[in-house]
Amino acid sequence: MTSPATLTATAPARPARAPGSVLALVVLGTGCLLPFAGASPLLLSLLVQAIIGAMLATGVGFLVRQNGMVSFGHALFFGLGGYVLGVPMAHGLLPPEMAVLLALLVPALLAFLLGLVITRIPGVAFSMLSLACAQTFYEVVLKVRTLANGDDGMSVTFPARLFGLDVGLLQDPRSMYLICWVLLAAVLVGLWLFTRSPYGLLTLAIRSNEERARFIGYETVVPRAAVYALSAGVAGLAGVLATFYNGFISPDMMHWTLSGSALVMAVIGGTRAVWGPALGAVVFFFFKEIVGDATEHWPAVIGITLIVVTLCAPAGLSGLLARLFARRAA
Amino acid sequence: MGWTMRLGGALAAAMMLPVAAMAQEPLRIGVPTALTGTYADLGSQVKRAIAFAAAEANAAGGIDGHKVEVEYLDTEAKPDLARRQAEKLALQGNKVLIGAIASGEALAIAPLLARWDALYIATTNKSDKITAEACVPRMFRVNRPDSSDAATMAPWLKGRSEETWAVMAADIAWGRDVAASFGKAAAAQGKKVVLENFSALGTNDFATYIQKIKDSGAKGVWVALAGRDAVNFAMQAKQAGLLDSATVAGVSFVTDNTVASIGDAAKGVAGIINYSSTLDNPANKAFVAAWEKAYPGTTPTNFEGETYIAMQVLFQAVKAAGSVKAADIAKALPGRTYATILGDQQMRREDNQLVGPNFFGVVEVFDGKLRPVVKMSVPAETATVAPSPACKIAG
Repeated sequence: MTSPATLTATAPARPARAPGSVLALVVLGTGCLLPFAGASPLLLSLLVQAIIGAMLATGVGFLVRQNGMVSFGHALFFGLGGYVLGVPMAHGLLPPEMAVLLALLVPALLAFLLGLVITRIPGVAFSMLSLACAQTFYEVVLKVRTLANGDDGMSVTFPARLFGLDVGLLQDPRSMYLICWVLLAAVLVGLWLFTRSPYGLLTLAIRSNEERARFIGYETVVPRAAVYALSAGVAGLAGVLATFYNGFISPDMMHWTLSGSALVMAVIGGTRAVWGPALGAVVFFFFKEIVGDATEHWPAVIGITLIVVTLCAPAGLSGLLARLFARRAA
Repeated sequence: MGWTMRLGGALAAAMMLPVAAMAQEPLRIGVPTALTGTYADLGSQVKRAIAFAAAEANAAGGIDGHKVEVEYLDTEAKPDLARRQAEKLALQGNKVLIGAIASGEALAIAPLLARWDALYIATTNKSDKITAEACVPRMFRVNRPDSSDAATMAPWLKGRSEETWAVMAADIAWGRDVAASFGKAAAAQGKKVVLENFSALGTNDFATYIQKIKDSGAKGVWVALAGRDAVNFAMQAKQAGLLDSATVAGVSFVTDNTVASIGDAAKGVAGIINYSSTLDNPANKAFVAAWEKAYPGTTPTNFEGETYIAMQVLFQAVKAAGSVKAADIAKALPGRTYATILGDQQMRREDNQLVGPNFFGVVEVFDGKLRPVVKMSVPAETATVAPSPACKIAG
């Protein structure tokens, strides 16, 4: 029998720790300097949106990495973060701070409960169930117009201060960029630490061979649901940030096309490294911006690029970079 | 293609003007509009009218020497995307925004205009909210709002013998507004709305809705669908025999492009017409003639006419402001009277709504072509109802 500890050998390859950490710190530091290096408000605003997309893709990629499960419905948790924050705020149903806390917790909690049922089912069936759950919620926010004006969406006005923090900071591209950048770094570090923790290794063991993990005495449903909840929590945080920045919620936040885009970002970036999907999201976002400005047929260009990346770099951009660094180190 | 060459010629002529005339800061216009999706047809009409007006202005040496530059970005008529694209345009320096299609898009853009130091001119957004509770000093509307369509429809409805009506509307702010105002008008005249159908934007299959209308026994159907939705519904209603068994009329439904898509079955269908190329006044005749020169074989449609009016208003406001800065134009826009292809119209200070006439008509053959023809004109003071007290932008 293989114990979880011995499964570290099958964990995805990472670049050597010391150069990796230094590089991560350099990337983080450089990113923090950007607003002070004369970056335009337009670039910073685009970066805010790219980082929010990166967070959503990180959630999707993390689920693939730890659970081996492909979610077609992660937009549900992104949108839920936005709606749980925006709806009570607009209708004055809850104290604003309470709405923020709930918006951060509810997506993870819902995913955990759903996960107890749907993460038991492997493969395409799970993907379809995740899609079905997301579309159910999408239909609700679309049809129940009293909630947030259905298809038209709803502007959300926040109080001037929340938890003593000036909300204007969350709507100014410069400060919001810094907040999002640091939060993304924190999420990535947090998830990376999780993957190296005993519990993280257990989830990898379950992913590799669920039956074996069960036979050696581990409970296998809760860890999978926990990973699902964690990845949904990250998507929910992205939704909360998007709502703060845009001051607007609409059913598009829950639509399956957003889930699809997040998955495409994760595939482009590669899911073997925790940071892969985030890299894929930023590349995808700017690629789409540039191609979208050049042609109305950008979806075709994205599709072809996806095929090329999948064929030429099955481990995604992060896999490609990791291989390059490994070669240099050798 | 002939018209592209002619437009190109006009642009080339504009480029050859003396450098001094064009040395001033350009008037930079951003157009976040639906270039793909359900409302793509409306978006392409908006785009064509803006390109026409810009080429015409540049050929005449610009607006007070300011060259007109236009950038377009696709919103797919989605409010969330419209908000992002509008921000992108504004931050790129195109701070005069114009021409989104769905009302939800305008409502999404409005709260951010001050932050972007931009202004927005609605040319097809009809929801009353835009000039009521959601009004902001930087948002203006030149087209007729839903309340104006309702005021225009009411006298027509009074003369109809059908006692029971069904509403078939898009499930967005505009469709909901139309259903509510039609219900009110019907009730005021002792008629009954027996069914309200709301279809999601981009619905392909209207069979269930059509069956429900038939089952309801409604003798008339008031339709508030536009673009691909309008064409899909009309084609399927025709196949199901609804166009023969009930009176079908509507708003944004009887447009030149819908008629062209439906063909002969559209004959006799009545509805609101906000602008028609058949309107008989010198300014409109000159516009239609210039249009036919630029785009041979076509006449300006409902939405093209309305968008052209927005450009007329904007250009006159730029002249009055003596500036191309959004803040200056926004200050100059309200309270003035503008010469347009629908005659002189005033931009009302109370709610930034252009006060103009509205029309009701029927699809029939005109100049050998099937098109909406105006049968009843409602003057500006009746057609544009009093400003909503919910809008508090005026001093």
